[in-house]
Amino acid sequence: MSASLSLTYKKVDKIFNKEGKDPVRALKEVSFTIEPGELFCLLGPSGCGKTTLLRCTAGLESISGGSIFYGEKNVTSIPPFRRNIGMVFQSFALYPHMNVYENVAYGLRVRKTPEAAVRKKVTEIMDLVGLPDVLKRNPSPTALSGGQQQRVAVARALVYDPEILLLDEPLANLDAKLRRHMRAEIRRIQKITKITTIFVTHDQEEAMAIGDRLAVLRDGIVEQIGTSNELYKNPNSAFVANFIGKMNFFYGSITAVQNKQIAVDIDSRVYTFPEETLAQRFTEQLAVGMKVLVGARPEHLYISKEKMENSIQGTVNIIQHLGQVIRYEVQCHMDVADKQMEIDMDDMVEGIGEGDEVYITLDEKSASVFSVEGER
Amino acid sequence: MKKSKQITYTEHKSLIRRYLQKDFTPYIVFFLPLTFLVIFLFWPMVTTLMRAFMGTGFKFSLETLGLSNFERFVTSSLYRRSLRNSFVIGLATVIFSLLVGVPMGYFVARVKIPFKSLLLSLGILPIIMPSFIGAFSWIILLGRQGVVRHFLNIIFSPLGITIPSIYGLFGIIFTMTLTYYPFVFLLSYGAFTSVNPLLEEAAMIMGSSRKRIIRTVTLPLVIPSMSAAALLVFIRSIGNFGIPAIIGGDQYVLPTLIYFRVTGFWDLNGAAAIATVNVIITGVALVLQKYVVSRREYETISASRSEYKLHDHWLVKLIAILYCLLILIVSLLPQFTIIVMSFFTQWHGLYPTGFTLENYLRIPRVSSSEIRNSLFLATTASLLTAVLGCIIAYITERRKPKGAVILDMAVMAPFILPGTVVSVALLAAFSGGPVIALGGTYTIIIISYMIRRTPYVFRSVVASLSQLSPTLEESSMISGANWIYTFRRVSLPLILPGILAGTILTFATLLQELSTTILLYGVRTRTVPIQIYGAVVDGKLGEASAMSVMLLVTVFIVVYAMNKFLGRSISSSFKLG
Repeated sequence: MSASLSLTYKKVDKIFNKEGKDPVRALKEVSFTIEPGELFCLLGPSGCGKTTLLRCTAGLESISGGSIFYGEKNVTSIPPFRRNIGMVFQSFALYPHMNVYENVAYGLRVRKTPEAAVRKKVTEIMDLVGLPDVLKRNPSPTALSGGQQQRVAVARALVYDPEILLLDEPLANLDAKLRRHMRAEIRRIQKITKITTIFVTHDQEEAMAIGDRLAVLRDGIVEQIGTSNELYKNPNSAFVANFIGKMNFFYGSITAVQNKQIAVDIDSRVYTFPEETLAQRFTEQLAVGMKVLVGARPEHLYISKEKMENSIQGTVNIIQHLGQVIRYEVQCHMDVADKQMEIDMDDMVEGIGEGDEVYITLDEKSASVFSVEGER
Repeated sequence: MKKSKQITYTEHKSLIRRYLQKDFTPYIVFFLPLTFLVIFLFWPMVTTLMRAFMGTGFKFSLETLGLSNFERFVTSSLYRRSLRNSFVIGLATVIFSLLVGVPMGYFVARVKIPFKSLLLSLGILPIIMPSFIGAFSWIILLGRQGVVRHFLNIIFSPLGITIPSIYGLFGIIFTMTLTYYPFVFLLSYGAFTSVNPLLEEAAMIMGSSRKRIIRTVTLPLVIPSMSAAALLVFIRSIGNFGIPAIIGGDQYVLPTLIYFRVTGFWDLNGAAAIATVNVIITGVALVLQKYVVSRREYETISASRSEYKLHDHWLVKLIAILYCLLILIVSLLPQFTIIVMSFFTQWHGLYPTGFTLENYLRIPRVSSSEIRNSLFLATTASLLTAVLGCIIAYITERRKPKGAVILDMAVMAPFILPGTVVSVALLAAFSGGPVIALGGTYTIIIISYMIRRTPYVFRSVVASLSQLSPTLEESSMISGANWIYTFRRVSLPLILPGILAGTILTFATLLQELSTTILLYGVRTRTVPIQIYGAVVDGKLGEASAMSVMLLVTVFIVVYAMNKFLGRSISSSFKLG
């Protein structure tokens, strides 16, 4: 296996339809580095630019500005077939006119590998992806199941020891159970080969489960990069917070800043948040009267039948058993908050049913405080 | 100071190096077809346009610029009549083709009748058979001494009705309708089968009557296909040379007028003016159709669909079967007629007379060079067309470089150019012209064939390419294959059926090509259709029939073999027109 490479983006811009009437800026000065051997996830809603960034990385799309480096090498203008990369497509893109062996051997034959070495490498890689028996029958890939096709696609991308592996929503065409199994498989194979890998997905659960680190993209901008834990605990922005898991929001304004604490007025109730709850993106100078957005995860809100200090009134709409937690969907009777709150309790709360009036309290130490700027 | 200069120098060097890393092959390959189109399409069209404004004759001189060639459309009654005839024939053929083809398409699509695939295959025959053969066999049937006319006149004489002879406008429209209705039949069949039945079922559930559903749901959804078919028929009929040349009598249309101008007066500039008018008419028709359709194209909204409930009432079935049979018999009558005719010397009145095999026996003697020419020209041109069409299709569909739209339009342009117009344009540019003299050579015929038939291959390849997911090619590029390797190992094997279909179709149509060849052939380059045309003009119908049968059989075998081999039905290979 070749030594792993880092992957660096420097101010990468991509503008579609540049000279046309309405150009679309799909990537805006994207700059970050993926470490050698890392399994990196690109996560974001559809249209955020994650697939575009992946296709630019592969060289399938040219970039409009900036540069991309594999290790120290600037690959910006190198066509894809000279980049020595592997890619697994969402549709797998297996060649229907070749059998499984020929499909996997394709990249080796392009590289004019001697036939004996081709046989050896194909056998090895099929072992690695867990399909040693398929080669005996060697059917057309169209005769394989979805999961097997997926493994063949991974084998084909890895067989010639590429320097970078790109996965474009590789699990989207599989059913839910197989998806969970295959993402573990991909992580296993990636850790064995230690090849620098980008994994594109719109499924936050998948990204958090598989990625060493992930980047959340939105409208062509990298919102935040970090480990799953960092993104979940310390989201930079309300967007990231709500994309990685669920967050309930309240609008408020600062009434005081002192003793590393921030007092925020939310609909005439004053809450005090520790300084650590401030989101990193919060660059403005804190000042009294400034509008802020306070976020709380479902597990950091509590409901009770009795009125508590600083509690907010609401009506329970739906109660769902989700196994580990009970999710209460509560309609909040406050103008400056989300109308629908999701609140997770560890257990059923005695005496509360659908349609009942409840009181919501919030754990101030676990909340997040975001700047209102740039949020919806 | 010195340091900064150094930096710009190395930067410059790295810029050059990065530039050289780029993949230039697509651009080089892009250039080949473009050059071909510029020399053999743009340049001839420009010359034609310029010549149209020059004085009568074949001289290319800028001193005689003027409108004299166009003035004849006002001053000469022959010109006025030809123009009017072209319009009348084009519109009438469209209307009658719709009247004949739409019900047939509906019956085959929606009524439970047997032998549907046979109906579809037979229904297509008139358009793969040479139209001028249809024309002269109708002379045998409905000409002055025609057998059917003779027969009908005997039946109707007590009523005092006489059937008009085939010569003239009636005959042209009649023959063209029978030649071109399959376009309407096939496209409306396609449209009636592809309308999602759920839409009609929804209307039924909401309480709509069957008649109302057809009026408010089905028809609006098939109108785009109908208008495409109508345009196709209009363009074909207004550009057809063979039918009016054989049964037009003293009624000229624009293509025959062009032929008359060139062969009668060697007035290339005058012919160029007529050609220009002809192209303008087809162009306007094209724009009008696009306008009509653009307001009526609908996206398919629902993803699910249900199976059709076919009409199963015995009366409906009976009407449908009788109707389809009647149309098929009438439209295939010419083919039967010439088979019979080919074994006789004469056919005046009810029965053919003078049974003979001489018509066939003399073919090797008198037509050997024509057969050789036809095979050579059709084969060479088909292969070259395949290469050209393939490259252009691949470039416009996949590489999408700047200017691909121009290439796309240029390739499709000959689709609306009548054959006589293409040959006039090539003559205008390359015969008697100052640059390259190609008149009377094989080359000019091959080029004209390529120009006219590239759209067939192009469309066919584009259709298969668009079925092919680009990720297959991308994944090959990622694996390290450059785009030529990718094309050879991935794209080509997968689109080969499309290429073969387009090429064989091209070959089949080129074997019977008349309207372009008629102006371009020389003594050495006569083809079989030219010889058939000559025999018809000389009144040697038996001889012409024998050669036509030979041509029909060849074309039929080629197309049939293609369908067997490629496993697609004849109808689908002709959807592009």
